Amino acid sequence: MKILVCMKQVPQKDAPLKLNEAGTWIREDVSYEVNEPDAYALEEALRQKEKHGGEVVVVTAGPARAQQVLREALAKGADRAIHLVDDSFATIDPVSTARAIAAAIESESFDVVLTGLQSDDFGFAQTGVLLAELLGWPHGTIIIGIEKTETGLRLKRELEAGHYQWMDIPLPCVLTIQSGINKLRYATLIGIKQARNKPVKQMTLADVADKLGTNLQTIERLYIPVKQKKTEMLQGSSAEIAKKLVDKLRNEARVI
Amino acid sequence: MIHFRTPIEGVERPRMEADVVIVGGGPAGMACALRLAQLIDAHNAAHPDAALSKENIYLLEKSREAGQHCLSGALLDPRSMRELLPSFEKEAPIDGECTKESIYYLTRTGKRRFPFTPPPMRDHGNYVISINKFVKWMAEKVEAAGITVFTGFAASEVLFDGDAVIGVQTDDKGIDKNGQPKANFEPGYNLHAKVTVFCEGARGSCTKQLVERYRLEDPKHAQVYGVGIKELWEIPTGRIAKGEIIYTLGYPLTTKEYGGAWIYGMRDSLLSVGYVTGLDYEDPRTDPHHAFQSFKEHPVLRGILKDGKMIRYGAKSLPYGGWNSMPRLFGHGWMLAGDSAGFLNSQRLKGIHLAIKSGMLAAETAFDALLAGDASAPELATYKARVDASWIREELYPVRNFHQAFEHGLWQGMAKAGLQHVMGGANLGPDSKAHPGYENMRHVNALNPFREGRMQFLGAAKGDRKLTFDKLTDVYYSGTRHEDDQPTHLVIADLSICNDRCTKEFGNPCQFFCPAAVYEMVEEAGEKSSAPEKKLHISFANCVHCKTCDIQDPYQIITWVPPEGGGGPNYDGM
Repeated sequence: MKILVCMKQVPQKDAPLKLNEAGTWIREDVSYEVNEPDAYALEEALRQKEKHGGEVVVVTAGPARAQQVLREALAKGADRAIHLVDDSFATIDPVSTARAIAAAIESESFDVVLTGLQSDDFGFAQTGVLLAELLGWPHGTIIIGIEKTETGLRLKRELEAGHYQWMDIPLPCVLTIQSGINKLRYATLIGIKQARNKPVKQMTLADVADKLGTNLQTIERLYIPVKQKKTEMLQGSSAEIAKKLVDKLRNEARVI
Repeated sequence: MIHFRTPIEGVERPRMEADVVIVGGGPAGMACALRLAQLIDAHNAAHPDAALSKENIYLLEKSREAGQHCLSGALLDPRSMRELLPSFEKEAPIDGECTKESIYYLTRTGKRRFPFTPPPMRDHGNYVISINKFVKWMAEKVEAAGITVFTGFAASEVLFDGDAVIGVQTDDKGIDKNGQPKANFEPGYNLHAKVTVFCEGARGSCTKQLVERYRLEDPKHAQVYGVGIKELWEIPTGRIAKGEIIYTLGYPLTTKEYGGAWIYGMRDSLLSVGYVTGLDYEDPRTDPHHAFQSFKEHPVLRGILKDGKMIRYGAKSLPYGGWNSMPRLFGHGWMLAGDSAGFLNSQRLKGIHLAIKSGMLAAETAFDALLAGDASAPELATYKARVDASWIREELYPVRNFHQAFEHGLWQGMAKAGLQHVMGGANLGPDSKAHPGYENMRHVNALNPFREGRMQFLGAAKGDRKLTFDKLTDVYYSGTRHEDDQPTHLVIADLSICNDRCTKEFGNPCQFFCPAAVYEMVEEAGEKSSAPEKKLHISFANCVHCKTCDIQDPYQIITWVPPEGGGGPNYDGM
């Protein structure tokens, strides 16, 4: 199987975030890491390749610093990488990202595209699905199990409340992977050393600009929620208080 | 049952051959790698027929990314950087040049300014930097020069062949808390090297193995340490200018303890503030983290930090012993550089420039050894000769007795240091001796019950969560992360000493000297009777890799070993 894994670099979990001066995004002076579900998508791709042969290619769209995630992927066993390099890739809307990736792989023929089910920073959960639409392929989301069959893949999807769904999907297809589908491997010294000689194809915004369309999304304002704590004493008899309380829980707090 | 980390047995380890392995990617290790690449490049340009390869030169760094475990004030004396990269000032991340400096002696509520700045403390021409950013930048230079940096890999064991060091073993990955391999287990590599350069920082874990095996330290001049606690603060502008330096002595420590504070203006609204406590105090309840918190409550600091916000925390030990305390620097197949070897000027409170210089000299020696095809002790002895012939000796030898002068407190220390200054570093007699600082610690029941004015740093700080913080809150701001399911990397040789003898004699000082709330005495149902007994709990995931426990434990039964590579603090911007 020839597998493409879409990966994203996101601010490290638990990193203390500070807003930038314009209040439109966070300040860049944080540590970055691989988006967690993307790491599982990569691991799944490597396992499928180990079972069935083929090739694993990784792609990211992001600033120069995002090359780190590609290097980590190559060190773990991916064969080659594509880097769509531009600062603007960090903030454009998901359909533009999907279009950029689709344009970057135009000349290739993958059997499967894997993405993490969503990113830890924006959390849109759209890029993978939009990419499937642009490629005209079927897709499956929140995948926690993949098995190759004669006609395609058999998938296990995670639904809510402990329910699962099994489905068959033909190839080629796009799958968005849930964290925990497998156990992540460690990069090895020899893997890191070999990764230095693996090809990383750099593509600029200009290379894909005519395919992008209009970016329809900008962040107007980002702010930290103001902590509000209000104490209100309910007065009256027990029955009245209970009635008021139910009313407030239902109509104001909307928890019942 | 606590399972302590030890290399897993009975597995086949992958082996890699190297020309030079540099253990630790701080300023010393990065300078060593960079200098080595420069020498090889120059050699290859001059002798294309006898070219040397950089392919098999590796640097191991246990943090996930370069610079994340580096902590310092930090002030950089640019001398060695100018030798390494003459135009570094144009491209390196530098916050500001030192413009103004002052020293205060603090009493509980007052301050007295020193009428003049003693010459060694004059910092004009030095740079305020973030050592984290600076080392990250150096790492980029090293990689661009063609040297492979393995981040997320610790050297856990030294590999010996008879009398020679033949490399290191990297950390085992994927071991669970009971010491069993997990599904993704990866055994550590045996990384064989012709030359291994240890630049692990203060109290390096491999360096400790070497020091013990080869008896590298002179027992009359034991290394002595301090622990620096640091916070990064955002403050309203206009209080401390970029490049402004303030040192303080005195409060909250008494004149019996060694220590002091720094305040560096990194930007007009960003402040590096920290407090160093000498690890040679006598009261086992001394809590260096508490000392730092109390320091911030002094009116001078309250004024500076008012309405500010703490954004980062860290702690790290530093070697103070100076020239006479330095261990032997070389042997068959190995060299020591940077803080691991004690390259620090405790009078000027600076070590980065010396770490860089020592790394460069080690690189020059390693380069000669590669050319000669000989890494034996006599060949590597030229490293020591290079150090002796360099300005390192010129700088360190005259201050060799400085820290030792303070053994009997601040006033005697100042008098002796003043005298040394006039006498070219000599005492009115032989050079001072030094014994390990933990030997000064006294039994709890031998202490003056009136605590001798030490209330402000005994026991754990509570914190008001605005100006002062408890340890757990601070640890959160250190960005520390470890894989939870792994063996405990604070290896205690005999837990029964902790739970019984130490409780009676010293009152478990680990709870206090650890600046990251790793050690805690927790009540458990007793084994013999139903009465609850206090047992030591080790929250290793809080560990900020400062090595204070390894240094200061009065029984010397704690051995700090590296946890799974990639774990530890994240000193971004520190």
